[in-house]
Amino acid sequence: MATTTASVSISSGDLIPGSNLSINASSTLMKAGLTTGLTQVESGVISLALDTDSKLGPLATEMSGDVHDIASWLYICNKATDDTHYMDFGIHNTNMGRLYAGDWMFIPWNASDDDAAIEVEAKIAAQTIEYAFFNSNFILTADAG
Amino acid sequence: MATINATINISSDITNYPIRINKTMTMKKAGSCHGLDETTGMRTKKFAAEASPTAAVIVEADEITADKATKVYIRNTSSSKEGYFYVAYHAGAAAATTDQTIGKLYGGDWMLMPYDGGTNITVASDGAAEQTLEYMVFADVIMAAKG
Repeated sequence: MATTTASVSISSGDLIPGSNLSINASSTLMKAGLTTGLTQVESGVISLALDTDSKLGPLATEMSGDVHDIASWLYICNKATDDTHYMDFGIHNTNMGRLYAGDWMFIPWNASDDDAAIEVEAKIAAQTIEYAFFNSNFILTADAG
Repeated sequence: MATINATINISSDITNYPIRINKTMTMKKAGSCHGLDETTGMRTKKFAAEASPTAAVIVEADEITADKATKVYIRNTSSSKEGYFYVAYHAGAAAATTDQTIGKLYGGDWMLMPYDGGTNITVASDGAAEQTLEYMVFADVIMAAKG
């Protein structure tokens, strides 16, 4: 069984006066409701064209058994270096947040319905992101010829 | 201006060549080199076991200035890998079939996501057992709750 572990450390000495912020958390990523680890990963470093909505990772319909409500995880880091550059992140045609230059994010994703695509779009300028998508349900699409 | 650093480490042996991701970000204000300096502080909320749990708003959009560089950290502090919270970007629902459901946080799972303040962040416990959620918002601007 594969083991995938994700940990985070958030710290600040001056955000809250008189109190050092120190958050540390670690989790082993499992299949939904189970104690067996995830088995598949898709990752890469890709370019995002300016103002062009792009899909990241598979739709539910592109996974084994058209699965929904799964346990999968997405990591994205915006590799831009200009502080004004950002990418919009969203699910199912709804923007949820901006990932600025140098920022990373890590979220669960459960493929709630057939149209629940993960979407990213570069703003201000084209950008490069690195990402990793941990899952157990990928299938390779058939060649349409 | 404050300095907030967040570091992620991911390790995996899914592939024959082990995956190692290590990345640190300094949380900055939107389009700026200056650090985020407002926060809700760490909040914890215990959710009792119940047959039909209702969704709860943990981040209210009207308290966050929209389209900035806000970040939201959420963690299920329980140890059970059977129990979970749904997390959604939605005015008042968080369930498997909600269009803007983000995902499920099982016991020990955590997430850190950018947030644009467009609508609420909502959670729903699966209700099978008592669970506790901890969460914290880091933002450019947090408005005091409306009276």
